[in-house]
Amino acid sequence: MYILSHNIVSPIGMTTEDNLQAVLHDSTALCRYEGKWGLPDPFTASLFSDEQMERMMRQGLSRFESLVVESVERSLQNVKFDFSADDVIFILSTTKANVDQQTGNNEQELSLYPGVSAQRIARYIGFTTQPVVVCNACISGLAALRLAACLLNTSQYRYAVVCGADVQSAFIVSGFQSLKALSDDPCRPFDIERIGLNLGEAAATMVLTSDMDVTQPTERCWQISRVAVRNDAYHLSSPSKTADGAFLALNDVLEGFDTENLAFINMHGTATMFNDQMEAVALRRAGLTGIPANGLKGYYGHTMGAAGILETILSMAAADEGIVLGTRGFEELGVSAHLNLSPQHRTTSQSAFVKMISGFGGGNAALLAVRNPLIITGNAPSTNFTISHSVSITPDSVTIDGKPLSLSENLSGSFLTALYKQFVNDYPKFYKMDLLAKLGFIASDLLLQEEGGERFTPRTDRAVILFNRTASISADREYQKTIADSDNFFPSPSLFIYTLPNIVTGEIAIRNRYQGETEFYVLPDHCPETINRIVAATLATSSHKSVLFGWLDAVSESDFQANLFLADKTE
Amino acid sequence: MKEQLIDVLNLEEMTPDDIDTDAPLFGDGLGLDSIDALEIIVLLEKKYGIKLANAAEGKAIFTSVRSIADYVSKNRKK
Repeated sequence: MYILSHNIVSPIGMTTEDNLQAVLHDSTALCRYEGKWGLPDPFTASLFSDEQMERMMRQGLSRFESLVVESVERSLQNVKFDFSADDVIFILSTTKANVDQQTGNNEQELSLYPGVSAQRIARYIGFTTQPVVVCNACISGLAALRLAACLLNTSQYRYAVVCGADVQSAFIVSGFQSLKALSDDPCRPFDIERIGLNLGEAAATMVLTSDMDVTQPTERCWQISRVAVRNDAYHLSSPSKTADGAFLALNDVLEGFDTENLAFINMHGTATMFNDQMEAVALRRAGLTGIPANGLKGYYGHTMGAAGILETILSMAAADEGIVLGTRGFEELGVSAHLNLSPQHRTTSQSAFVKMISGFGGGNAALLAVRNPLIITGNAPSTNFTISHSVSITPDSVTIDGKPLSLSENLSGSFLTALYKQFVNDYPKFYKMDLLAKLGFIASDLLLQEEGGERFTPRTDRAVILFNRTASISADREYQKTIADSDNFFPSPSLFIYTLPNIVTGEIAIRNRYQGETEFYVLPDHCPETINRIVAATLATSSHKSVLFGWLDAVSESDFQANLFLADKTE
Repeated sequence: MKEQLIDVLNLEEMTPDDIDTDAPLFGDGLGLDSIDALEIIVLLEKKYGIKLANAAEGKAIFTSVRSIADYVSKNRKK
């Protein structure tokens, strides 16, 4: 797919060009905040000023939604197609959307659901098709571009508008503080003195097409050649020590590509001990340590849902100027592989780059972007799938392959815990999970028990793709309770982890040792047709042979629904 | 201390008698992980007013139930 237009809105610029110039001049909005949002501990972040935010606010929309609209509208200023047509899809990448409005008690507040928020944004801008929200923790941006590639390359849409955005709040900052993941000072990616990350606010948008009739290649025609997502199947919050997922994702995007043509590799580079070390291992395993590498968190902080898209756009803009951007904050190498990093901007004559990213839930993604690619037209890949087994769970029933499951007569306490005790009972970590993860764990385990055969054998050819409407609403409410009272302010790290809905895909991957693609999408409403189309497109554009997919929504112990399926690819 | 750990770490199927006071809490012992370590840090602050700056500091303290109890008795502020 090809990039028609792009925009970055950040505290250091309102266009891609503004941002590139700011970074070239070593600008950053990272600064230290004390007492912000009533938080007891100080933090360093890149935040919009009140004045900047005020200028972006749209009537009837939240801070988050206004930021998205600002970036999307700017990206659409120069495009020549009708974006209200039914061949245009709007994809929103965000980790926490409107979570700054979470009070712990506003259960019926629909704007807390990212899909509903995306629908509101879509209507404001003028899109008419149903938007899809990608909630895949820190890899959301690249996962959103992966979804765009799936849908465009299989000709389901002609254009995709992909925006990544997040705004910061007490909810998010306190959560990262509870994980001891933040640095009080400006972050130092890959440096020996690095102690943690900084958070940031931004929105970034790409307008994409796979239709060459409208692309009209010019000197600066960029193609996103490949995007891949892989799970470590190792831990929910710590990356694989052997960088399994990142290595697999790199292999997926670089297979058959001459890496001599790479200008640089743009790393995730959060400046946490474990992330940066893992990425170094991934590059060593892939034989890429000689290629210039860089990281941009020293300018923007970690912009979460925006990061993958923002950093890809900025990398592209820099490559157009023949520049490998410097890694701000880096001085002395502090990872085990000898990466080719520099705090200074460098020059390049190459016209391709790789973007890497990793996140909670064990997700890793890589993207290969190429300027002025050799354009090959051909038939869109298509595929279908055959469902082998299905499981449905509601608060009072379980069916497998359409037949009711016989339940123990003395069910007591939580229904899901009773199911666990009756049908699984060999995984004590179940008790640490939130409601959504428990539901996904039980449903997937029943599904895989029905499949039979050898369980727990590592495999890289099965994807896990889940959808819902309410994201992580149940966990969000539970976490909010730990920060609601300033006299009893003890944010819970284990609850915070589960405020990322994709964590359930990580739980399933870890349990079953799946290192395939893991995705979590939020829709405005349950739409089986959309689910089937996305699953088919994912299989058509990857090497996966099998998929565990379906609807998984959990609002409360008395309001949840799982409809999961196991399916095999059919050519 | 064992009861508190069972509570905050959701060790649902365990009783205090199941936990060896001197056995390692992480790795092969009780099988706790890095998120559990962070949750123990919250417990120490909430219950005893002990504030640890980072997880690395906790590593030396969280070797066993006894080591945590010893540290708490020497450093508790409430």
